[in-house]
Amino acid sequence: MITNEIKEKIRAIVGPENTLDSNLDRFGYSYDSSFIALLPANKPDLVVRPLTTAEVSAVMKIANENNIPVTARGAASGRTGGSIPLSGGISLSLDRMTNIIELDEQNMMVTVEAGVRTIDLYNFCAEKGLFYPPDPASWKFSTIGGNVAENAGGMRAVKYGVTANYVMGLEVVLADGTILQTGGKAIKNVTGYNLTSLFTGSEGTLGIITKIILRLIPMPKVRNTLQLMFPSLDDACATIHKMLQAGIVPASAELMDKIGLQAVARHRKIDIDPATEACVVIEIDADDEANLEKQAQQISAIAREFHVSELRIAKTFQESEDIWAIRRGLSSAVGAMAPTRFGEDISVPRSEFPEMVRRIRKISEKYDLVIAVYGHAGDGNLHPSVLCDLTIPGEEERVHKAVDEIFAEALAVGGTLSGEHGIGITKRPYITNALGEAGVNALKAVKQAFDPKGILNPGKIW
Amino acid sequence: MKDEKKEKLLEEVRSIVSQCDRCGSCLPVCPLFGVKDVEASSARGKNNIVRALTQGGLDLTPDVLAAVNFCLLCRACVNTCPSKVKTDEAMMAIRQHFADQQGGAGVKYKAMGGMLKSRALVKMASGSLKVMRKVGLNRLVPGGMVPDQFTRKQFLAAFAGPAALGSQAPASTVSVSPDKKVAYFQGCGMRMMFPEAVSNTLAILRTITEPKVVDNLCCGLPHVAHGLRKEFLEMAKENILLFADADIVISDCASCSGTLKHIAGYFKNDPEWKERAEAFSAKIMDLTEYLAKAGYQPRQRTNATITFHEPCHLGKGQGIKKQPRDLLKAAGNYVEMDGSDTCCGGAGSFYIDYPDISAKILDKKRQNIENSGAQIVVTECPICLVQMNKAANKSGGKFRAMHISQII
Repeated sequence: MITNEIKEKIRAIVGPENTLDSNLDRFGYSYDSSFIALLPANKPDLVVRPLTTAEVSAVMKIANENNIPVTARGAASGRTGGSIPLSGGISLSLDRMTNIIELDEQNMMVTVEAGVRTIDLYNFCAEKGLFYPPDPASWKFSTIGGNVAENAGGMRAVKYGVTANYVMGLEVVLADGTILQTGGKAIKNVTGYNLTSLFTGSEGTLGIITKIILRLIPMPKVRNTLQLMFPSLDDACATIHKMLQAGIVPASAELMDKIGLQAVARHRKIDIDPATEACVVIEIDADDEANLEKQAQQISAIAREFHVSELRIAKTFQESEDIWAIRRGLSSAVGAMAPTRFGEDISVPRSEFPEMVRRIRKISEKYDLVIAVYGHAGDGNLHPSVLCDLTIPGEEERVHKAVDEIFAEALAVGGTLSGEHGIGITKRPYITNALGEAGVNALKAVKQAFDPKGILNPGKIW
Repeated sequence: MKDEKKEKLLEEVRSIVSQCDRCGSCLPVCPLFGVKDVEASSARGKNNIVRALTQGGLDLTPDVLAAVNFCLLCRACVNTCPSKVKTDEAMMAIRQHFADQQGGAGVKYKAMGGMLKSRALVKMASGSLKVMRKVGLNRLVPGGMVPDQFTRKQFLAAFAGPAALGSQAPASTVSVSPDKKVAYFQGCGMRMMFPEAVSNTLAILRTITEPKVVDNLCCGLPHVAHGLRKEFLEMAKENILLFADADIVISDCASCSGTLKHIAGYFKNDPEWKERAEAFSAKIMDLTEYLAKAGYQPRQRTNATITFHEPCHLGKGQGIKKQPRDLLKAAGNYVEMDGSDTCCGGAGSFYIDYPDISAKILDKKRQNIENSGAQIVVTECPICLVQMNKAANKSGGKFRAMHISQII
C-alpha cells in the first residue's frame, strides 16, 4: 500500500498524468511476456513514468524512505518475469526516457536513455554507417534499458557477442536515490571494480539504469543468407563447428529441429522434405562481394562434407527475407501447436549442442511430451519449447519434471540455466543448482551492499 | 438460447485473446499507443484486459468498456503479430457481448444504425440532413448546426471508421469478361458526401461495361462494429437478394467492399442463407481491383504529384495495395508517403469520443503527406476522404484530397 500522501509527493515529481493508479491501469503493468499466469494479477500499487534521471532519483528516495518496492519496466517484453511487480509497490516505467543523447562518431560510441527502443538506436546509428549488433528477437519493440538489465543476446551473438560486449558505461540510480556513473568512453579502464559489468544483467535488482554508453562498430557493407538442410542433426552441428574452427565466422547460425521445421511448414503452407532432421540458417557479412562469395563457397564445401541435402544461397534480398521468414516464424508456429508452451533458454558449450539436443529428445520420450528445439547453434544457446495442454490431468506435473530434467542436463554438460532471458521469476527455483550455495550467497552479498532494504525488484533471481 | 449465444460469443473472444503471448510486437505499430502510450491503449493491453475479463480477473466497469471501445480496428497489430492475434475481431465480439448484456448498443449507435438502415433516410440525409435533426444526431455531433457541408463530414465521421472486418478477405477470383453483368454498390458515405466521386466512378465503369445501379441498403459496417449484429444480418439478406442476378458487384468504398466480402462468414452456420451469402461475397470487387483486372488505363495524365492514403479496409482488410498505386502511377507523378498504410484516425464514434487522439493521429498523417511533397492525396474510402479533407484544410492549401475515381 502506498498512502495518498506519498502518491501526492510522487505526483508532484513526475506530474499527475504520469502516475497511474486506477485498477485497470495497474493491471496493464502487471504482466510481461513470460508464462507467469496473467491471473491473479501482480498489480503494482502505482505506475510511475518519469522523464528524467532527476525524477527517477527523487522517486527512489521516497520509495527507499518508505520501504516501497520498485520494479523497473521497459516494454515488458521479457520472458522470465523480470518486470513483473511481484510485491506490488511501484512499477517504474522508463518508456518515456527516449532521448538519444549523443552520437560520438570519432569514438564510435552512442549515449542513450534507457527507454530508447533498440531498433531506433540501431537505425539511428546505421544512418551514420555505424553498427549496434545485438539483436534480441524483441529488438523491434524492446528498450535498450531492458536489454542491458537482462543482458540480452540475439542471433548475431556468434560473431558479435551480446549486449554486455557493447556497454561501456552506465548511469544508475541506486536504491536510495544516489546517482552513480560507471565506466565511460575510455576503452581501457581498470579503475576500481567493473561496476558496469555488475549492473549489466542485474535484472533491476541493484539499481535503475537510466543512461547507457554503447560502443559501436563499422557497419558491414554486404550481407547474404544461406539455408542448409541436413538429414541428421549431428551433421548440421558438425558443419557449424567445422566452419567456426576454419575461421569462417557467420553473423548468425540458427538451427531448428524437425518438429519446429514442420510446424513452420504447416504454418506457412510450404513443403519441407520429411527426411530433413535439421535446418540451419546462416547469415554472413563482409566488406565486399568477393569476400562474401568466398565465405558462401567455403561454407557450402564444408556442408557438402557433412552430407547437406539441400543448400540454398540467396540470390536476391527477397530470397534472404524468405529464408529468414522461416526462422522468424518459428516461435509462433511452434507456439500454435499446443495450448501452452514453456519456452526455455538454456545455454551450453557449443560442442555440447548435439548432445544436449539428444538428451532433450530422451526427456521428451520419457515424459511423452512434444519438445521442439531451436536456437543459436553458433553460440550454444538453445530454446527447447515444451508443448502441452495443462487441462489434461497429470500433464502439468510431467511438464515440470521434464523442465527440471532439462535444466539438470544443461548443467550436467557444463551449461547454464539462461543464455539471454535472465532468471527473473521463472528460473528462480533452479539458481542454487546452477551457482551453488556459495554462488548464491555471493549474489546476496552484492545485493545487500547496494539495496540493504531490499526494495529493488524483490522476489527475483533467487 | 440467448445465454447459449452469449456464451458462444464469449468463448470466441477467449479463444482469440488467449493466443496473445504478450510479446509486445504490436506496441510500436498501434496508432493509438503512438499517441497515448499507456499499456491499456495498446493491442496487447486490450487483449489482456479482455482475457482477464473473461477469466474473472477484471470486472465490467466503465473504464473497461471504454478500453475496448478505444480501438480503431485498423488491424495494424494483426499484421505485425507473430501469432496473428485478431485483436479487431476480439474487440468487436466483446462489444457485441456488452451490447447484448446491457440490452443493446449504446443509444447513439442505435440512432445512427437505425437511420442508415433506411434507404429513404439515407437519401434524405444526402440532401439536407434534416433527418439528422429528426433523430437527434445533431446533439451527438460536435458543432451540430454548423454549415451543411461541414456537418455532413462530421456526421459520417461519426459512425464507422476503420472498423470491423475480421480477417483479410481473399482476392476476388471473379473473371471480368465483357459478358459479365456488373452492378454498382452505392455506399452511404459516398452517396451522402461525395456524389461527384460516385458520378466519376460510374463514368469510369461505363468505359468498360454497362453497370447496373441498384438501390441498395447500407453495407452494415457501422452496425456490426457497434453491437448491432441483428440489424446487420437483416440488411445483408436484403442486399444479397437485390444483387442476386449480378455477376460482379463493384464498390468504390473500401469499407463497403471489405464488409460485403465478409458477409459469407456471418452466415456460415445458417443453412438457409449460407450458399447465397457465399455466392454474394464471392462476386464483390473493390473498384481498383476490378479496374486492374479489366486492364483499365486512366483517362488522362496529370502533371500533379500524387500520393495515396491506403484505407485500412483496402490494404489490411482486402490485401489490395498494388492496384490503386499502379493506377495512380499511370495517372500522374506518384510518390509514396511514409506511413501510407497507417490509419488516419477517422474511426467514427472514435472521433466523437476521443477528438484529441483522433486529431493527433491525423496530424501525423498530414505531416507525412506534406513531407512527400504531393499536391494531391488520393484515397478510396469516404471516411478516410473526410479525414484527408480535414488534413488538407489544416495544411493551408499545401495539398488537396480526392477520391481515386476523380483522378484516374
